[in-house]
Amino acid sequence: MRNFLAAAALAAGCLLSGCGSHRLRMNSEQPVTRPDQMVSFESLYGKNCSACHGSSGQGGPALDLNNPVLQQLLDDSSLRRAIQDGVAGTLMPAFGESAGGMLTDAQVDALVKGMRARWATAGTMRTAAQMPPETTTLIGNASHGEQLYQMDCRSCHGGARQQVTDPTYLALVSDPALRTILIAGRPDLGHPDWQTVAQGHAASDQDVTDVVAYLASLRSMTPGQPYAAQPQGEQPTATEAAANQPTTAKRKQSTGQATESFKTEK
Amino acid sequence: MSRMKRVYSWLDHRLQLGKPLLEMAEHPIPNRTASWWYVFGSAAFTLLMLQIVTGILLALVYVPSAGEAWNSLNFLNHQLTLGWFLRAMHGWGSNFMVAVVLIHMAQVFLFGAYKYPRELTWTLGVFLLLMTLGMAFTGQVMRFDQDAYWGLGIGASILSRVPVVGGSLVHMMLGGPIIAGATLSRFFTLHVFVIPGLMLAFTFLHVWMVLKLGINEWPMPGRVVRRSTYMAEYHELTEKDGRSFVPGGVWKDAVFSAAIIAAVAVCAVVFGPFGPGGQPDPTIIQTVPKPDFFFLWLYAVLSYLPPNLETPFLLIAPVLGIAALLGLPFYASEGEKSWHRRPIAILALTTIAVSWGVLTHLGTYTPWSPHMDAWSGGPAIPARFLRTASPVEREGAVVFQAKQCRNCHSIGGYGGQRGPALDDVATRLTGDQLIRQVLQGGGNMPAYGKNLSPAEVTALVSFLQTLHPANEPSAADAAQSVTGH
Ligand code: HEC
Ligand code: HEC
Ligand code: HEC
Repeated sequence: MRNFLAAAALAAGCLLSGCGSHRLRMNSEQPVTRPDQMVSFESLYGKNCSACHGSSGQGGPALDLNNPVLQQLLDDSSLRRAIQDGVAGTLMPAFGESAGGMLTDAQVDALVKGMRARWATAGTMRTAAQMPPETTTLIGNASHGEQLYQMDCRSCHGGARQQVTDPTYLALVSDPALRTILIAGRPDLGHPDWQTVAQGHAASDQDVTDVVAYLASLRSMTPGQPYAAQPQGEQPTATEAAANQPTTAKRKQSTGQATESFKTEK
Repeated sequence: MSRMKRVYSWLDHRLQLGKPLLEMAEHPIPNRTASWWYVFGSAAFTLLMLQIVTGILLALVYVPSAGEAWNSLNFLNHQLTLGWFLRAMHGWGSNFMVAVVLIHMAQVFLFGAYKYPRELTWTLGVFLLLMTLGMAFTGQVMRFDQDAYWGLGIGASILSRVPVVGGSLVHMMLGGPIIAGATLSRFFTLHVFVIPGLMLAFTFLHVWMVLKLGINEWPMPGRVVRRSTYMAEYHELTEKDGRSFVPGGVWKDAVFSAAIIAAVAVCAVVFGPFGPGGQPDPTIIQTVPKPDFFFLWLYAVLSYLPPNLETPFLLIAPVLGIAALLGLPFYASEGEKSWHRRPIAILALTTIAVSWGVLTHLGTYTPWSPHMDAWSGGPAIPARFLRTASPVEREGAVVFQAKQCRNCHSIGGYGGQRGPALDDVATRLTGDQLIRQVLQGGGNMPAYGKNLSPAEVTALVSFLQTLHPANEPSAADAAQSVTGH
């Protein structure tokens, strides 16, 4: 009995101490690298990006990066800029050290190279020539955009839960981000890219610009009030715009302005 | 043989140690005390010796300078033959020592061994416990890695709460306004000279008293300690029903000590040394510092306390606790020793042990500090919530990540555990309640009112409203269904 008690006490002692650590033996491992010297894509992506963009670059709440068309649309410097400085007017945060983030230039490069190596395939190159560019100099025509929307988008986005015209949604997504989605598509969600979004033909630069201008025109300065909008100076019919069938654009906003006013604070 | 004897008697004639040592070895102990229950004190002593030997060996290589400490530990871990094992023995020895000292103390309390005439033995023991903990803390600083750095930072912030002199105390502890080379020198001196020196002196006195006063007899219900009669009773007991310490009792001590050392060695081989973790560098904030296991309970307590109680708790509780321990033998120096007749003592001990165990468990298995990477890294919100989400709801999920809600709240089993998991929050709270929670916070949750745009709030809340199991509807506001709002 006593022996048993002593053995139990010893075991308890071991257990107590055992709580202290789950570390495995160190002698075979390398010294710990400083976090700012880590350049493996897997750990950088898994630590900084996967929660929003999905573990395999797909299926996360934000844009799928594992999309050859997207990888083709954005060149290295835009990718680097997006990671370093974030994307204004969206919730994509800035990660570069210069912008107050944690990632060094070398780490940003490692991310860009890693995405290219994994998620850009050569197969899409053939259509590269006709793909609308990432940024445009064209002026958008919102009413033409609305016609296109009714024609090409409503078939899929007409339902109550598919409202990309919801001002709350639009307030959180900038025009450049909309443009990226329209061109590159969101294969993980089943939203087609520029080649297949319109019936019978690929969308042109002008088409994309017009649809973005139309969506931009639906934005409101005070979107997404939890309760019916209180009058704060002059105000467009924010809540009406959310109704199932959007009426013609009431307000025309230049792309730049819209992006500016919805900048999120970081 | 006769030459040996001559040398011995020459020495003993001058040293005069032979007789007292023999007396010590032969001093009678009560038969029932030669029990496995009495082995923890000697085990603690053995561990102290182990720590001293391994500590001296470590000090041969370790460089106590801010620039070199970390490197010299890595050198020990990776370059020196068996260097890792030495570090592991010292690290595990420390953990075991804390555990054994605590068990020893609990046993002494349980057996009423602190009563007359052993009050001072207990008092010294309390100081030895504090010094053991002090060694553990200063030893962790020796690693001078991120855990050490943040451990110091937390220690400093606790000290800084002391009214009036807090600032100077911090300055004294760190050897300057910041954690730097001077801090390490200070802790090195404490860890290697000051505390061990005191500890050896205290241990010597502690053991001396144990041997001189005789080991505590097995407590029997009804055998009451009285100052006037105790000594005579004890002597009678050891004469009638006793045996000599060597070899009657000591062999169990030896066996147990050997077993403990073996256990330390096994842990050292299996689990390896502790750290060093990342470099101690205040600019590296991607770290989740964790205290060693015997301080974990504190961690859990602090995370449960409302913020305004933290300072009083941190400053008053330790003082009260130590005062209670020191005062115990003077308050209850006579009376029953047997646990059968001391219900309150048993209750107190069980309560303390159970709550300590539970809190330590919580501190170990629950990342009480927010999960700093969960907002950007790790698995995304499970597909079952996102697949059917509307654009606004999906954007709400992005807000949830971007505003770092997930650092405190898990979804799909991933994320911090500072706040409740939100997988089915929609079954608990209505839209209005969610809005209120997000805007005003509450409990330990910050208020996000000023940090979210109205669109972000709407998107976030509409996302939160989708968080319920497929077969369970979300909570509805009774008032809304009545008024049709
Ligand atoms: C808090 C969530 C979040 C995290 C974390 C995040 N992103 Fe993003 N990211 C977004 C959002 C939101 C967008 C906007 C795109 C959209 O959904 O329309 C975006 C857009 C992008 C884009 C496209 C930029 C463009 O020009 O259109 C790239 C590239 C990108 N992210 C890369 C990364 C990388 C690499 C990381 C990790 C370092 C990362 N993101 C981490 C939310 C996040
Ligand atoms: C083949 C059906 C289909 C067509 C056609 C289509 N979409 Fe989509 N789109 C989807 C699906 C499915 C999603 C993902 C689910 C959702 O958000 O409703 C989506 C998502 C989107 C998103 C992103 C929502 C988010 O959560 O980030 C935008 C923006 C978008 N569509 C705009 C358009 C526009 C503009 C058009 C017309 C040019 C269009 N879509 C045409 C199916 C379609
Ligand atoms: C610092 C950690 C922390 C952060 C960051 C945090 N919360 Fe909380 N949250 C808590 C705690 C703690 C509670 C429990 C509050 C209480 O005790 O009443 C809580 C409670 C909640 C609840 C109520 C849950 C329930 O079951 O009652 C919701 C909903 C919630 N948080 C949403 C959010 C959202 C959305 C965000 C991001 C905007 C967020 N939290 C950010 C700590 C946090």
